[in-house]
Amino acid sequence: MAAAEPLSGPDDLSDDEREAVEHLLYRLADDEFVVAERYTEWQVRAPTLESDLALANIAQDELGHARLWYDLLEDFGFDETDLVWERDSGQWRQSTLTELPFGEGDWADVAVRSYLYDVAEELRLDALADSSYARIRDRVGKIQSEEDYHREHAENWLDRLCEDEESRERVQDALDRLLPHALTIFAPTDEAVEDRIDELGLRTRSLVDMREEWLDTVVPYLESLGLSVDEVELPEQYDTHHENLEMPDEVGRDQSHTEAWDDLWSEFTNSYRELGRSEASTIMADPDDVE
Amino acid sequence: MSSDIPYDPEVPGLDDDCEDPVLCAYTEYVEGDGDVEDLPATGEDAEGVEADVWEALYDIEDPEMPVSIVDLGLIYGVEVTEGDDGATVEVLMTLTYSGCPARDMLTQQVEDAAADVDGVARADLRLVWSPGWTIDMVTEQGKDDLREFGLSV
Repeated sequence: MAAAEPLSGPDDLSDDEREAVEHLLYRLADDEFVVAERYTEWQVRAPTLESDLALANIAQDELGHARLWYDLLEDFGFDETDLVWERDSGQWRQSTLTELPFGEGDWADVAVRSYLYDVAEELRLDALADSSYARIRDRVGKIQSEEDYHREHAENWLDRLCEDEESRERVQDALDRLLPHALTIFAPTDEAVEDRIDELGLRTRSLVDMREEWLDTVVPYLESLGLSVDEVELPEQYDTHHENLEMPDEVGRDQSHTEAWDDLWSEFTNSYRELGRSEASTIMADPDDVE
Repeated sequence: MSSDIPYDPEVPGLDDDCEDPVLCAYTEYVEGDGDVEDLPATGEDAEGVEADVWEALYDIEDPEMPVSIVDLGLIYGVEVTEGDDGATVEVLMTLTYSGCPARDMLTQQVEDAAADVDGVARADLRLVWSPGWTIDMVTEQGKDDLREFGLSV
């Protein structure tokens, strides 16, 4: 893809440009926020103290990254209250992979989900490193430097779990369930807007391109562990190697979500609503504002 | 954080093409290979209000370790614009970690410290992430302080 013209700063974008930037940022920020929200459910419940701390730390990384992306939406005049606490659940754009609940004690799900997610995350960060929008480009290096170990962590667990037949079966179950949802990572929010994201050079690789490389990466690796993706039905238009593949009915990106999402959203916004807040809490008044 | 300063995508004096410095993986610090000749910024050549702002920032310590945030290399620059009713200060700052739980506390402290300096009418803080912070950005004084604290740097 030819290098696009650099885009202006947030205040000088045309309506079309701003819409494209916003769609891209919601994809990124919502994924990170929601996957972290799910990961935190494992705190004090993971199989070992080390794995508990590791996953908590990964969740904290992803929350930090969500914040870096939400910051850029704040450039457009939104604030944290608008973006997180008062945004209706039907306005979110995360992939359904990130919002699905974990089965009780289903650690195989964590390993599979984070592997599928982190490989995709590497690809999409690479595709943002030369973004035509400086505010996005400037954040990529920081995020990449904090992502390094996520995929390795997931692979270590998959390697271990697949050494044993019983646990490999559990990994296979998780894979069968999650792989269709992982494909929604690459689903468009809106075809026309996604095309514009590519044309403007906000992202230097298309969703289709990244999805193909993602499949070319995850499928051979999973198969090398004795897992099968044959049972997983990926949609035909989404893959040149596998036929009859199907995406779930809800893909997240277009603001359609699984039932689990409404429950999760209600849960993390519960305190905010119960306390009748109209803005995010601050510990004390800004001294500059006190007469 | 809000900023009314006009948007400026380039951080002055910094190399925007800095090569992805690797840090904090497994909480060990890997030497960054970025071109960060202008960092750490310490304001040693600053004069007037700018020097006073640097001095105020020096007094702020990292919340976890007894080291000044300036010596830690978190401040990438201080820009002072003189106006009729006093100076407008913009502080460019980074954090060692994007998920830093002390983010709001630290940024508030920095804004307040800069705003309290005589002659400053308003202070804004802009968080910047490129080049990403690495251990190379800690000053010699900062390294001494960290060693004193028991860290190996």
